[in-house]
Amino acid sequence: MGALLRCNGLTRKFGGVVALDGLDLQVEEGEILGLIGPNGSGKTTFFNVLTGVFPATSGEARFGEMPITNFSPQAVYQAGIARTFQRSRLCLPLSLFDNLMVGNHKNLDHGLWFNVVRRRALKRQIEEGRKAARELLELFDPPLAGRLFEPASRVPMIDRRRIEICRALIGKPRLLLLDEPSAGMTRDETRRLMDDLLEARRRLGRLTIVLIEHEMSVIERVTDRCVVLNYGKKIAEGAYRQVAEDPLVRQAYLGLS
Amino acid sequence: MTLALFAQYVMNGAMLGMMYALVAVGFTLFFGVLDVIQFSHGDVLAAGAFLALGTWVALTKLGVVSPVLLLAAVVVVSALGTALLGAVFARTLVLPLKGAPQLNVLLVTLMMGTVLREAIRLFYPGGSQPQLFPALLPTTAYGVGGFHLRLDNAILLMAGALLIAATHFFITRTRIGLAIRAVAQDEETARTMGIDFRRIVLVTFGIGSALAAVAGVMDGLYYNEIFFGMGLLLGVIGFAAAIIGGLGNLYGAILGGFLFAALQTIGAVALPFASAYKDVFAFAVVIAIMAARPTGLIGERASERV
Amino acid sequence: MTREGRERLAQALAIVFVAGLSLALREDDFALFLVARVLIVVIACLGLNVQFGYAGVVNFAGATFFGVGGYMAAVLSRGTGVPHLFILVAGGIAAALAGCVLILPVLRTRGHYAALVTIAFALLFRTFLEVNDSLGGPQGLKLPELRIGPWRFNEPIALGRFEASFLLNYVILALFLAALAFALVVRVDRSWIGVQLDAVRLDETSAAAFGIPIARAKITAFTLGNFLAGVAGALSAHMVGFIAPNNYSFGESLILVSILLLGGIGNPWGLPLAAAIVIVLPEQLQVIQEYRYLLYAGLVILILLFRPNGLVPRPLRRLGGA
Repeated sequence: MGALLRCNGLTRKFGGVVALDGLDLQVEEGEILGLIGPNGSGKTTFFNVLTGVFPATSGEARFGEMPITNFSPQAVYQAGIARTFQRSRLCLPLSLFDNLMVGNHKNLDHGLWFNVVRRRALKRQIEEGRKAARELLELFDPPLAGRLFEPASRVPMIDRRRIEICRALIGKPRLLLLDEPSAGMTRDETRRLMDDLLEARRRLGRLTIVLIEHEMSVIERVTDRCVVLNYGKKIAEGAYRQVAEDPLVRQAYLGLS
Repeated sequence: MTLALFAQYVMNGAMLGMMYALVAVGFTLFFGVLDVIQFSHGDVLAAGAFLALGTWVALTKLGVVSPVLLLAAVVVVSALGTALLGAVFARTLVLPLKGAPQLNVLLVTLMMGTVLREAIRLFYPGGSQPQLFPALLPTTAYGVGGFHLRLDNAILLMAGALLIAATHFFITRTRIGLAIRAVAQDEETARTMGIDFRRIVLVTFGIGSALAAVAGVMDGLYYNEIFFGMGLLLGVIGFAAAIIGGLGNLYGAILGGFLFAALQTIGAVALPFASAYKDVFAFAVVIAIMAARPTGLIGERASERV
Repeated sequence: MTREGRERLAQALAIVFVAGLSLALREDDFALFLVARVLIVVIACLGLNVQFGYAGVVNFAGATFFGVGGYMAAVLSRGTGVPHLFILVAGGIAAALAGCVLILPVLRTRGHYAALVTIAFALLFRTFLEVNDSLGGPQGLKLPELRIGPWRFNEPIALGRFEASFLLNYVILALFLAALAFALVVRVDRSWIGVQLDAVRLDETSAAAFGIPIARAKITAFTLGNFLAGVAGALSAHMVGFIAPNNYSFGESLILVSILLLGGIGNPWGLPLAAAIVIVLPEQLQVIQEYRYLLYAGLVILILLFRPNGLVPRPLRRLGGA
């Protein structure tokens, strides 16, 4: 197994604040890596720098053989990295299907001529899109497959999260970045969401995932390995049990000295 | 160009800048507390000017002749009346639209401006024609090397500067000013600190509108004439000034106001063969500024949590 | 019947309705003029709908781009022998190119700041026309009649016993172009481009994270919208036979935006209704002549307060029928 993602000294400063401080991190092909740390420790900043929302101040990131440091968000997506957001960022007035198709961008033809004139071909592509959407939802949460043409604003939070994850999955990324998928949900909902995710992953083949999560039971159950951040630095790395025992980690979380 | 002519340009530019700044401060204050653009602000200014004229007509009919008394009454009535008008707009139109799409608020306030403008045209006696505005200030002129400095203009400039300084003092140093800034900073936190949000919004709209009324009176005194559509261009320019400066920023609004006046003046001076193009020049520079500084000259860095 | 089928039927019925109405009014110059004017304004507003409603690009200079099309048509038809059908297209292209001047500031600014860019452009254009003598200054320019092949638009129609005002010619052309523009905009909406533009409007950050080229989407929408406004402007200039800066003021741009909001932003179906109300109503209020703008503005305020999504709110997109 080779490293799918390799970051060396990735740094991001906002004015005088170092949000991400020389992060070295590797994600192995096929693993689920948990990214944990207190609020403001740089987890989301790491996602944002990786996906080109903010440029890195210094350091580099390689995805497979491709150096992706300071790629635009569009280029990062094309390279095969998809993400979800901390706050749900679906297009609420649009149908679930439209939302999924936003994630399917790279498989769709966006030419003016194709869309306006070649309506038959477009129709075929729409049919393919619907098939793909339905298949993905079938294995993620079958009831949702029948609700493709409801506006996202009308489905409950847990389903919005599911749709968000499916939106990231439908383009068949090699690396999935999940930013606190459990935020705003109950424990029980979180558990169900994770079950769905693991089940989907099992059927999709070994998808690589980086998961930011506050809920430690989720981290314990789902991840193969964890990286702990504090003040933008990596303070521990290893299996969950191992890092949970780490005095530095306990100090960062609980303020124990 | 002679020095005298140059001085004339500077004088005129400063006067325009003062009026624009007064209007722009209103826009920026409203935006600060409510994140909205009150697009009838220019017509509120016109209403202020006509209220002033109406007061003067009424008082002279009543036989008041003291120029000091007349001036004071005209300014006070106009400012207070217009403040009330602004607060009523805020209460009836702007506050209920809180949370509505920006575009809706913009159009509703624009239409309210049309209503106001039409109301002046239709209901002010002779309102469809330009109205002569009385010279309430001494018009004595002092000749300085070919340049005529009129006393009334000097007084207007000084009064404008004092008013802007007073507004600044009010916003930065008084309790209500503090409350206004607190609301502008973060409405929720301000509410939990016990600030009466609605009251602060109404007060802010009152103050901003009163400033516009004063600008309207200044305009009347400077040009000796007012008309129902006078607020249109002044409103748009005030808005432009507030935006160039950076919405929500008091200094930005003042800077923007004077900058726009400077652009017009430079346009008129630098294009002697085509001084008619001065507004074309000024607006072209505005567009260029927006391209270079998309959130205004003193704009806050827009950052978004992702 | 599928949804698309129903909509096609509705479009056909709308065209038949306008055609029938115009035939019934064939002797009434003023009524025909209003019908043509509504159709032309619908074309321009369809363009604004792509900008505001789909891509979320604000444009408060709709009348300006309309005017660029008009002046282009005037200059070409006065000074050259370019066939008039091409002149209409040239009007659209001129407006689209004029929009390119604004691309950089439009892409970089948001919200009110973006509004200012187009407002400043609208005022700039108007002032420019007024002071520029070669384009007729405040008096404006006259245009010759429109001719397409043997079809002379300013001749009254006489086919056997059928007679009609010359304005029917313009109604026919305007109806044809409006139907074409309508079909174009509906097709754009009901396609991947529509989804893409909506995603850009609703959340640029997440749209970018899924590979959507934000700048290209906005430029496409802005340019397409201005093109439609320009074509409408060129046709309007020929119909009226005369153009002047006054017709392209900032106030006119606001009327276009108010039609868009009244109709229901993002929904082309509301536009004909809203345009008819906004254009025909003040004419019907002639009796109370003096008060019509007051009443009109009051009415718009009431509609926006009580129907914030417009008269015909935008429905959910359902790609692929259903």
